[in-house]
Amino acid sequence: MTDCTARIREETARLLAEGRVDLVIGFEEGSLPLRATPCFITEPGDTGRLIWNAFCSNNLARYLIRSDRKVGIVAKGCDTRAIVELIKEKQVRREDVVIIGVPCHGMVDPHEVRERFGDIRIQTVEDTGGKLVAGDGTALLSMNREDALHRSCRVCVQRNPVISDVLVGEEVEERTRDEFTDVADFASRSAGERWEYIAGEMSRCIRCNACRNACPLCYCSKCFVDETRPQWVGRGTDPSDVLSFHLMRVLHLAGRCVECGACVRACPMGVDLGTLNRRMSADVARMFGCRPGLDPGKPAPLSTFDPDDPQDFMLEP
Amino acid sequence: MRTIARNEIGRLLDGLLAGYAVYAPVRRKGILVFDRIRSGDEAILDYANTRTSPKHVLMPQMETLLSSCGEDPGVSEHTDCGKPAVLFGARPCDARAFLFLDKVLRDGQSRDVYYANRRDSLLVISIGCTQPRETCFCTTTGGGPLSAEGSDILLEDLGSVYLAHVASSRGAEFAAAHGLLDTCEGEPPGSGTVNGGLQPAIEPPVDLGLLKAALDRSFDDPLWLTLAEKCLGCGICSYLCPACHCFDIVDEEAAGVRVRNRVWDSCQFSCFTAQASGFNPRPTGRERYRQRIMHKFNYCIDNHGMAGCVGCGRCVSECPVNLDMRQVLAAFGGRRGGN
Amino acid sequence: MDGEMNDRVPGWEPRIVAFLCNWCSYAGADSAGVGRLQYPAAVRVIRVPCAGRINPFFILSAFQKGADGVLVSGCHPGDCHYISGNYSARRKFALLKGLLEHIGIEEGRLQFTWVSASEGERFASVIDTVTEKVLALGPARRMEKRYT
Repeated sequence: MTDCTARIREETARLLAEGRVDLVIGFEEGSLPLRATPCFITEPGDTGRLIWNAFCSNNLARYLIRSDRKVGIVAKGCDTRAIVELIKEKQVRREDVVIIGVPCHGMVDPHEVRERFGDIRIQTVEDTGGKLVAGDGTALLSMNREDALHRSCRVCVQRNPVISDVLVGEEVEERTRDEFTDVADFASRSAGERWEYIAGEMSRCIRCNACRNACPLCYCSKCFVDETRPQWVGRGTDPSDVLSFHLMRVLHLAGRCVECGACVRACPMGVDLGTLNRRMSADVARMFGCRPGLDPGKPAPLSTFDPDDPQDFMLEP
Repeated sequence: MRTIARNEIGRLLDGLLAGYAVYAPVRRKGILVFDRIRSGDEAILDYANTRTSPKHVLMPQMETLLSSCGEDPGVSEHTDCGKPAVLFGARPCDARAFLFLDKVLRDGQSRDVYYANRRDSLLVISIGCTQPRETCFCTTTGGGPLSAEGSDILLEDLGSVYLAHVASSRGAEFAAAHGLLDTCEGEPPGSGTVNGGLQPAIEPPVDLGLLKAALDRSFDDPLWLTLAEKCLGCGICSYLCPACHCFDIVDEEAAGVRVRNRVWDSCQFSCFTAQASGFNPRPTGRERYRQRIMHKFNYCIDNHGMAGCVGCGRCVSECPVNLDMRQVLAAFGGRRGGN
Repeated sequence: MDGEMNDRVPGWEPRIVAFLCNWCSYAGADSAGVGRLQYPAAVRVIRVPCAGRINPFFILSAFQKGADGVLVSGCHPGDCHYISGNYSARRKFALLKGLLEHIGIEEGRLQFTWVSASEGERFASVIDTVTEKVLALGPARRMEKRYT
């Protein structure tokens, strides 16, 4: 891990010094334990701020949108998947981005760590690869790193960068074949139970739009929720409006969602957006054979069709 | 009785439920929020602070101001706030935010009748803090872990018992009626108790006066661009803030009922200042983030004599990109403070 | 919950919104009328230029406004007036239907089908089937927006 930090700094310094980029977007130490925060480096002298650790969970591809500069970007597997989609959708030009790819071991969810260690005031966290060791200044407590991963990281199928200009660190083994068992499990409940669950989750939404704004693929200059003529969705917390917003968000990302989980992580209320996203990803994979962001050459599934697409869902009277 | 045992709180709240709508900290799927309770033992006493602030008790995220129904041309105004309410267990920072909201929405040039009616029928019982969170900075903005500002009664947490401090005349009436008489008159919270002098270690304060002076000179500072660069432009900070109070008014219709609703809004959203002409005076994150800081730490001090921030730290702990307002304040206060 | 939804509400008549493609299903409905075929009166028809014109939000909006069921009908595969609007639409519909069922909107509330201009009989039997399903499910309250 610390090797990656050193290499990221080196590459950043080189890219800036050679004038290949105006800016490198990476991570620096956060202001709180268990946090890293995006940082924007323009001076080779500032590269010492850059770090790489288990908390670099933001999807930095989000910052490429509407950028008019040549940008270097530190990117995990999911971040590169977003970049692939942004290039396909002509939001980013490949030649304007230098990707410093970092194979990812999965990012750690601070909530999981806090849940596990309870009330201790965590000051330090060491990542040994297999374990996370947290310290409160007096004692050290450890937990399995795997148990602390974000939900999206647990089902990740692309931990290595899909595309990169420089690869930092050793490639990691892609470990899961995603069978969408979580989706099947949820679908096996009764419609009433599913509704109760979703309605309960939606009831906590405060319409802060963090899910939308954290998403690297939500880049419309005017989002449908901000439209007033026509007003697609009411602005308040009416349960029907809240649900419509979330359904439309997922539908707008159909075949484009790169499953990075940025929306879920951004939510301040812990709303389970994953259950909606995962169903969409599962259907896109199953029906159209597509995992967004993995194949730069493949058209977006909703921009194309196959005459033989499944239509068993259609009514035959 | 000037103290109340911790295990008596449930019974006290049960007693209130008959006459009041009682709001207290409860857990909703693992997340602490203030919500109506139906029984005293629902209230959670062992907590640092809630995820969302209690401002929704006075200013719900969505409220109907006017409505009309079917063919009836009449319009009903929804100014009646129903039963009087008790907010139990607010932290001193959140209670202090009410003091700020009062200045803006009740006691200023214009009286917001919806807010004012709720406020006038709300009794605030706050609980002083013993353990600050790593994101707390109430002392920067003039509050403190045992501040009674904005509360009617402040309970000082002594472990197995709470010491009741009456902080307003309404608090005194209430305390008399419910056997919470304050006998430590004149003794400020924190004195002469086992917790005496224990001011928990809270983030060293930024000098608000110096900060304001620095902000007065900083409208066009290039630093805003750097600071706002990572901001996502979401509304988490505004919506979790106990002091933010901007809103939008929307007219809607559903199933034959027409309503005029007030809904929270955030200065961080691009459409907040978008005008019908298409012009937007705050076109980018730079202007919008500057507005957030300037409003709280500059304009509010000019207009209301008080910062629009109580240092609860929610915006710090929940920001998805860890844009820490304390660092922003330090960047201005620290850099320019000495001039 | 499901049981509750199944209760027949006295005096309740289902309201079903049918989005029909101008070039096929809408004419199919005409054809059913000309042929004096009987079908339930529960549908409210909205004519659209193509199934591909349907924004999923139209469907959500219908449910928000109190529709008990929604039907979308377009041209048979290969017959689209605009060559491929129905193929593109089919992908969207597949995803929307799956998503709505996933969150607990009952199977049967939302239906998609193909009806050509000459298929008056098919149109009538589609409406029969859709109405029957919605009748069995009862009023749709889950997504309805209402101020009380």
